[in-house]
Amino acid sequence: MLTRESRSQSVTIVLAIGAVFSLATLVARLGAFHLPGNHQGYAPEQPIAFSHRLHAGELLIDCLYCHHGAETSRHAGIPAGSICMNCHSIVTDTLGSVRAEDERAEEEQRKPRRMVSAELQKLYDALAVDEEMKPIPGRTPRSIEWIKVHNLPDFTFFSHAAHVPTGVACERCHGAVETMERVRQVEDLSMGWCVNCHRSVNRIGVGGRAVDASLDCAACHY
Amino acid sequence: MMPEKNPKTYWKSLSQPCGAAPSPPVAGDEFPESHEPARQEVRRRDFLAAAGFALGGVALGGCRRTPVEKAIPYLVQPEAIVPGRAVHYASTCGACSAGCGLLVKNRDGRAIKLEGNDLHPVSRGGVCAVGQASILGLYDNRRLRHPLRGGEPATWDEVDADISPLLDAIRTGGGSVRFLSGPITSPTKRRVIQTFLGRFDDGKHVSYETLSTAAIHQAHERTHGRRALPRYLFEEADVIVGFDADFLGTWIAPVAFTAGWSDRRKVEQAADDFSYHAQFEGRVSVTGTKADRRIRIAPSELGAVVNHLASTLAARAGVSFDSGQQTPLPIDEHVLEEVSAHLWRSRGKSLVVCGSQDVDVQVLCNFINETLGNYGRTLDISQPAATGGDGDGAVQSLMQELASGRVDALFLDNFNPVYDLPNGAAFATAMGKVGLIVSFADRLTETSEQARYVCPDHHYLESWGDVSLGNAVVGFRQPVMRPLFDTRSCLESLTRWSGTTTTAQDLVRQTWGDRVSWDRAIHDGFASVSEEPARATTFRADAVSAVPTPDELSADAFALVLYPKVAMLDGRVASNPWLHEMPDPVTKVVWDNYASLSPAAAQRLGVTDGDLVSVRHSPEGGTATSIELPALVQPGQHDRVVAIALGYGHAQSARFADVGPEWLEKKPTLGPNGLVGMRAAGLLTYQKGTLQLSGASVTVSPTGGKHELASTQDYHNIEVPAALVIPGMDRRRPMIRETTLASYKRDGSLPVLGHGTHHEDLGDLWPDDHKYEGHHWGMVVDLAACTGCSACVVSCQIENNIPVVGRDEVRRKRIMHWLRVDRYYSETDGEVDISHQPVMCQHCDHAPCETVCPVLATVHGEEGLNQQAYNRCVGTRYCANNCPYKTRRFNWFEYAREDKLANMALNPDITVRTRGVMEKCSFCVQRIEEARIAAKRLGRPIADGDVRPACQQSCPAGAIVFGDMNDPKSAVSKLIRSGRHYRMLEETNVKPSVGYLGLVRNRKEDEDHQHHG
Repeated sequence: MLTRESRSQSVTIVLAIGAVFSLATLVARLGAFHLPGNHQGYAPEQPIAFSHRLHAGELLIDCLYCHHGAETSRHAGIPAGSICMNCHSIVTDTLGSVRAEDERAEEEQRKPRRMVSAELQKLYDALAVDEEMKPIPGRTPRSIEWIKVHNLPDFTFFSHAAHVPTGVACERCHGAVETMERVRQVEDLSMGWCVNCHRSVNRIGVGGRAVDASLDCAACHY
Repeated sequence: MMPEKNPKTYWKSLSQPCGAAPSPPVAGDEFPESHEPARQEVRRRDFLAAAGFALGGVALGGCRRTPVEKAIPYLVQPEAIVPGRAVHYASTCGACSAGCGLLVKNRDGRAIKLEGNDLHPVSRGGVCAVGQASILGLYDNRRLRHPLRGGEPATWDEVDADISPLLDAIRTGGGSVRFLSGPITSPTKRRVIQTFLGRFDDGKHVSYETLSTAAIHQAHERTHGRRALPRYLFEEADVIVGFDADFLGTWIAPVAFTAGWSDRRKVEQAADDFSYHAQFEGRVSVTGTKADRRIRIAPSELGAVVNHLASTLAARAGVSFDSGQQTPLPIDEHVLEEVSAHLWRSRGKSLVVCGSQDVDVQVLCNFINETLGNYGRTLDISQPAATGGDGDGAVQSLMQELASGRVDALFLDNFNPVYDLPNGAAFATAMGKVGLIVSFADRLTETSEQARYVCPDHHYLESWGDVSLGNAVVGFRQPVMRPLFDTRSCLESLTRWSGTTTTAQDLVRQTWGDRVSWDRAIHDGFASVSEEPARATTFRADAVSAVPTPDELSADAFALVLYPKVAMLDGRVASNPWLHEMPDPVTKVVWDNYASLSPAAAQRLGVTDGDLVSVRHSPEGGTATSIELPALVQPGQHDRVVAIALGYGHAQSARFADVGPEWLEKKPTLGPNGLVGMRAAGLLTYQKGTLQLSGASVTVSPTGGKHELASTQDYHNIEVPAALVIPGMDRRRPMIRETTLASYKRDGSLPVLGHGTHHEDLGDLWPDDHKYEGHHWGMVVDLAACTGCSACVVSCQIENNIPVVGRDEVRRKRIMHWLRVDRYYSETDGEVDISHQPVMCQHCDHAPCETVCPVLATVHGEEGLNQQAYNRCVGTRYCANNCPYKTRRFNWFEYAREDKLANMALNPDITVRTRGVMEKCSFCVQRIEEARIAAKRLGRPIADGDVRPACQQSCPAGAIVFGDMNDPKSAVSKLIRSGRHYRMLEETNVKPSVGYLGLVRNRKEDEDHQHHG
């Protein structure tokens, strides 16, 4: 049994250990300090170096062209390989690379070869198709395992379909994706951040239209 | 103003039958185990302060990225599928042979919930508990993942290469082949089996069912010349008389029957067509609890009562009926007179149904229905469903054949005769004489273990199929997801071995050809087959004769009643934990079967709940069988009856050894035999060629042992705490309010409550600070329609990811169901009445739970929902303590299981709760949000009926109505305006959003007064 004295001693020791740990942590991570669960700035490397800057920024492809689930489903969705192939069955490399090959071919007086960029080759490998976009016999297609950037905890329900059709712009939550070479989490996606927006749109509306953004816990937590 | 009457008194269990008796301490407390003084040397606060600080530091130090989550898209996107959005496919339930219509909710390629198909002409939107739970069979890790050859994994090619030549040899040698199955309601399957067997000189199909209706088939063969099961139209019947037929619980097609029966029990729609329902039975069935008059009779008395009723009605109709040597009427003459008068008055609009397996009794019931002119009106034999009807003896003849070694090949459908048959062990031995045994079982059972080849069939949700439903309606089944394992449809296996390679889809399509519009039929899940002609039949009066008097029971013997439990049926679902943990609608016992005895019988034997008794059946000239079971005292049961549920003691239940949390004081879920409950199939008997579930004479003797039953009957008590009883006031509160049809029609309201039970002018503890400007969600439960069948309980469990906790945790009052069905006993003229009351979170406008939560984890929503934020909850349990309705459930352990396959059935929209968190009914807020999002997209408000919680969706009786109380035109608002509407514990002024419609029984008013006096 512990005496009163030895008890206070043990408490002191535990407190001291705690203090040392906390201090060490704070000093070490002061620069990039986030609360637990906040992954602001997360920009993982993806299996294919897909550039949103090129597709959404330069080529002005609409977000919903690829992420078409956003209007009707909880998930915006990562486009299937078949959606990439709508263009990339024809476009297989950068314009510069194709032109360079054309010039080289003209110089060497031969038919230009089909150019395939290293990144797109990964897509064709996944779909198990050859240069002519024909299935390669004996090869099984394999899904591309993208790394999810924007993660919400499991106890939070979020639906794109509740937001996108009401007129909330994609960049309101995802930032200027069209400028990003590799996608980065811009906002902290914390509850406070969600609630602040829900409060403000109830006052000012979305795109001039009045909306009814719920502040109930059970709007997201169930 | 009417004089105040003392209301009828209700009690929940025999431990509190007479009002003032204090309940045992376990029953009274929400958390019975929290009173133990803590033994702590270091003060708890010191320790927590220090540990919390230290932990905080360590946690911050350990802060890092959560594990990488992947998003893996399709390679080629299927057109109809959007990840995250549910798709519903129409199909037909395969849990029993009733063939109810389903809409299967499929999310991201997997089925996650079964909903009723509202358009379905037979089941009309309901799904029973067993049907609901059958989805778990899909994700059962005991399922075979590939064919087996001699117990070793094999490929389909290997199995086919083995079986085909063997069959060819049998064919050329003129050998005999048998196909043994349950009742086959699928025309395609029947056709395929016939084609397969037709290739052999001696090929025969034999079917049987433990829950047999062979006597009805045979009786109709005698009286109508047609071996068939009639369609029963309860919705057409003004008067229903049931003889031992649990048609609201387990008999034939309970969902369809409940839908029909409840049509005539909803006072608001049908005050003038309210039916009268009398039930004669020995045990207490779900159907019996809902009867207006319930008459206890022993199985041996059934024949005499039917005899008397037949002769009374024949006399009224002026039809000749030779009643033979009449045995004296074993019941009160006035009762029989009342029943026969009701029947006669409603001739042509009445219905007599009988669950007996005595063909003579069934013939008499046919005679009664014929005399009353009911054929063609309330029951119909002209277009019956195609069912088996080989008679119960066929399987026994087959067994003799097997034992003699004359059978060369035996094919077994996905079922388990070694368990089902009373002489299952002998069947297993007989199987040993067969050269080639092929089983289509989806798992290894007592039967399929003996098969050299096990060729697992798909789960029904992965299959094509059809079900004949009678009245020229066919239900269709389509695969709702890709098969999980390397299984193959039984249809395809059989055609493959017949030398062709037609797919199951084509086989089903071939059966119907142009008779149905295929796409439409698959889309709807059912179709009318126009060309199936109705066949007129005539009644053969010469087939009718009085029932011979059965032997009297000897003085100390009991009549055995074996019955299918609502959740367990004949044991085909014994591997399903949801169904084991569903409290029985009548006894409220989980994870066990038991020997039910009436209070008088129990007293005579000197036993009480949980005392082990030995039930022994020694037939003349046969070997004695006995089983040992815990006793259960069941008020309302006949004094000479001992009732035992079938379906337990199943080898499949051995898997539940590890159900429930692991901890020091864990007690096993399984009984001493290593299984859940005891197998009662050994007590089944054959008489006059039919399988008898009831009537055998048995002796019951206490063994002195004890086996504590886990029953929820005393849990979640809502009586006034002992310390707060106002002198002169009853501790019990009027939870159930009840009236008779006559007085309700006269008054348009429920009887006024007695003195001291209402306090309308006590004022509010809470300010009226909720405006409910948008929607205000509310629910009404009709107690007159509710049968207690508990389909809602299981539906809620599946929808909301509610864990199974195991027998020991239930015993500790830790059952997690958000929705419970309370059962109350009351008494009228010495007869026990049973009432059911579904209780879920009442979403009080002035919720007492909200005021006591120290961390605001439970708060009030703008639309009246009482919300629970799991991530905020720290588990103080104050809320549960303060809930007057006892609807909150606490996660004492991490109940969620790491069963990857079973977890595929989880609802991805709902959080899986962790240890230390409080949870409760949310009014299926996920469905409200889903409807809101859909309505928003369409730019319209949420319409009445857009939101249906899981309990309402699957209720076969339509007893639960949910909607917006702010909308005066909504269904729920209309019911709230009904004179029957009341709220539970109204006097506490917590303003619940759930209301009840008082129970109405169709009784004479004077009985009502008599009782209240």
